[in-house]
Amino acid sequence: MKRVHKGLIVALVGGIAMLLAAGSAWAQSATPSSTATGGSGGPVTFIEGTINDMRTVNPWKALETPEYEVLSLNFDLLENFDKNNLQAAPGLATSWEQSSDGLTWTMHMRDDVKWQDGQPLTADDVAFTYNTTLKCSLGNSLDYLVPDFTKSIKATDPTTLVWTTNVPTTAPIRPPWVYIAPEHIWGNSSCDDIKKAPFFEDGKPMIGSGPFQLTEWNKGENWTMTANPDYWAGAPHIDQFKVVKYNNSEAMVQALKNGEIDYVNLGSVDLFNQLVNDGSNYGLTTHVGPAVSFGQMSFNMCDPQSPDAAPYCVKTGSTGNPALRDPAVRTAIAWAIDKNTILNNVLAGYGSMGTTIVPPFSQTYHWEPTGDQVIGFDIARSNQILDDAGYADTDNDGIRNDPKTGDNLNFRFILRSESEIGSRLGDYISGWLKQIGIGTTSEVVGDGKLVSAWYDNDYDMYIWGWGPDPDPDFILSTFTSKQCGGWSDTCYSDPDYNKLYTDQQTATNTADRQQIIYQMQQKLYTDIPEIVLYYDKALEVYNSSKWEGLEDNISPTPEGFLWGQYTPYSALTLAPRGTTSTAASSSSSSGLLVGGILLAIVVVIAIVLIVRRRGRNEEDLA
Amino acid sequence: MGTQRYVLGKLGQLFLTLLLILTMAFFLFRVWQPGDPVQTWARSQGARYTPEQLAAIRSDWGLDKSLPQQYVDFMKSSLTFNFGTSTVINPDASVSSLFASGMSKSLLLILTSTMASIVIGVLLGIYGGWRRQSKLDNSAMGVSMLLYAIPEFVLGMIFILIFAGVFQLFPSGLYQSPVAKPGLDHYIDIGRHMALPWLTLTLAFMGEFYLVMRSSLLDVLGEEYISLARAKGVREKYVLRRHAVPNALLPTITLVALSFGFILSGVITVELVFSYPGVGLLSYRALQFRDFNVLTGTFVIAVIAVLIANFIADLTYGYLDPRVRRA
Repeated sequence: MKRVHKGLIVALVGGIAMLLAAGSAWAQSATPSSTATGGSGGPVTFIEGTINDMRTVNPWKALETPEYEVLSLNFDLLENFDKNNLQAAPGLATSWEQSSDGLTWTMHMRDDVKWQDGQPLTADDVAFTYNTTLKCSLGNSLDYLVPDFTKSIKATDPTTLVWTTNVPTTAPIRPPWVYIAPEHIWGNSSCDDIKKAPFFEDGKPMIGSGPFQLTEWNKGENWTMTANPDYWAGAPHIDQFKVVKYNNSEAMVQALKNGEIDYVNLGSVDLFNQLVNDGSNYGLTTHVGPAVSFGQMSFNMCDPQSPDAAPYCVKTGSTGNPALRDPAVRTAIAWAIDKNTILNNVLAGYGSMGTTIVPPFSQTYHWEPTGDQVIGFDIARSNQILDDAGYADTDNDGIRNDPKTGDNLNFRFILRSESEIGSRLGDYISGWLKQIGIGTTSEVVGDGKLVSAWYDNDYDMYIWGWGPDPDPDFILSTFTSKQCGGWSDTCYSDPDYNKLYTDQQTATNTADRQQIIYQMQQKLYTDIPEIVLYYDKALEVYNSSKWEGLEDNISPTPEGFLWGQYTPYSALTLAPRGTTSTAASSSSSSGLLVGGILLAIVVVIAIVLIVRRRGRNEEDLA
Repeated sequence: MGTQRYVLGKLGQLFLTLLLILTMAFFLFRVWQPGDPVQTWARSQGARYTPEQLAAIRSDWGLDKSLPQQYVDFMKSSLTFNFGTSTVINPDASVSSLFASGMSKSLLLILTSTMASIVIGVLLGIYGGWRRQSKLDNSAMGVSMLLYAIPEFVLGMIFILIFAGVFQLFPSGLYQSPVAKPGLDHYIDIGRHMALPWLTLTLAFMGEFYLVMRSSLLDVLGEEYISLARAKGVREKYVLRRHAVPNALLPTITLVALSFGFILSGVITVELVFSYPGVGLLSYRALQFRDFNVLTGTFVIAVIAVLIANFIADLTYGYLDPRVRRA
């Protein structure tokens, strides 16, 4: 018996000793990322935590936020986004002018810009990038940024780019959100090569011209960008920027509190709210950023019989409920959705009520309905609209019937399982629709299944979201007939809208373009192919006890990003906080002391108990 | 002669089971998969692909062949461990290289934690069965029931709250610090990051081993041959070591082998909670991004691992209990 006993005690004590040893080893090697403050001589590293993965850094194929974050730091655009209003500001191009006929733009570029491998960056690189975009037509937003009515894009000398078009346009100064790639590396690649190119291969840093350079990428785990000391707009004050991927938001927030990471852009309003309350105890500062994305509820608008139907819709056909093609039904649904409740109960107030597909942060182009135009929340009015349109409940089952077919107004409603709030939104909306006699069959599915349903036009309604560019061109294009089968949410197809889209592309000045874009938003707002439910805000948290220089460079203003900006202004001013950095580390080491003492007490109690029991048991044995 | 036949028989069974499971996997991943994998892939690529290009990819992946032909290909590649390259999560890296890199991290976690939970669980179980109703037994019983009942992810989250949150003793996740540490600190760093996932897995499975070992020992202690041994005047220590424990170990060994599958699923959960980049996380990401080569690879290898664990259990069983061999 004794042997078992001894083994037990040895195991327990050993385990606890290991725990303590690890703890004290930590105490010595602690100051997790306070290498950031430069104390131990390691590189000054700013560490972001994210739960989003990066799939590609190919600038022609990027889609997701982490991808754009890396690209914006690794590459330059021809023009920057203005820090305040996101209009074109001097960058690689310092000035530009339009010819009097409006068909030719001449951009004058800096002559001191070098690629990260030392080669000079010239107008030829810009021409190469834009022409490749045009030639390869990758089917994503870049197609719309370098429009197909372009006649030619040429470098007339190393610092002059001439862009001619068939019709007058302001496209070259929106600015085009196309990262300039080095011709000396990619110049000989075919479109197929470019489509397949990983751009970052192991051990070879990605060559761009930006303030940072991607130097390491452990897929699915982390990626590292190293500062470019020769950046033309000045060297960053940090050595490295690193992104670490977590799979669990709670653990990520804990790491932020413990000082293991320095910054997060949170997707969860609940966790953000917690940090608003207790973040300052950990030296953290919370920041509510701009509403750059929206959530929408889309209706299946594909009607193969319609003379205006998009070709793709005619090809695939549609299983969408025809009742949803009746504007009265969609209008009634729109009046039955309480966006205010969604904003407060689902988004905890971190957002604003959705209206159009151009979010308010596109200050120049966002149109907001006023007065009689506003569609509010009014169940009675909604019921009235359906009554007037002849949708009565003929079989008295609580669900209205379609006067044409006699069928119940019951819609399939697809919700995303990948979205934290998808099913909550669905529950609210189904509840409201029930009050106006419309039934829903909700299905929560993964994105793969939703994409298939969407491709095949095999759905009635679904909820998803968009994060549009600062310039609205691309998001507006998603409602043109051409985009059905591409990026169109609904296969909406309307000749007037298509014409307005072309008109805004070729408007010769911003004021005219603004008016056309207002009309387009107004048209979508009254036609209701989809309902923009909310604009959700970026929720940022960073360790302000260690870092400074983020808050003086918020972009755009007034509500902008601290980090992950369209043009990286704050990345150049971010620096370790000078003298005040000791506060946080002392609080964490006192936390350690308390933890250590508590643990020691537990160990002592455990040992005493075990030894006492051992004595008793031996008595039993005797 | 008996032993040889026994082993061969078991091997045959193993192979049949493997074929059956692979067939199921084929239907699971190739036939019943929701959505067209090529379309789903194209959609995630951020660039448009022409129908010709999509057809080329389809043919690259062997999806244009007839179903029976696909089945043959699938079985061939599965049995030769040649799962091709990853399609989404790490394009152009071979599935086996991804798996190897994840496995080295997972194995460290699985082996050390399983060992610890078996050793602690079995030792406590022996003690509990031997000294039933003692204070240690009673408290171990309560704790074991609790640990057995709590799902791994809840246990993991609790540990994050306590050890990473309140005491700030260990990091809340990852394999190592974002900025790698030099020299010996590097290994300490990895150890610190492994501490909480290790503790979670160890405790989660310890309870089960304790409970089974304890009850099986209790059964054995009621047997007549134990009374006989005691009646012959054999010392208690000897009764326990030579008569009771070896016989009581049998069900525990079965349990260890059977629970290997659960340990694997526990590893997926724990790696997810702690963002620990092993095979568990790899298979989760494969599922998330519909990288079906990686998904198939991890599935097949996990199946084989479980089957082998069971095979080893069968052999050990035969070694410990000669009756099994002869039967």
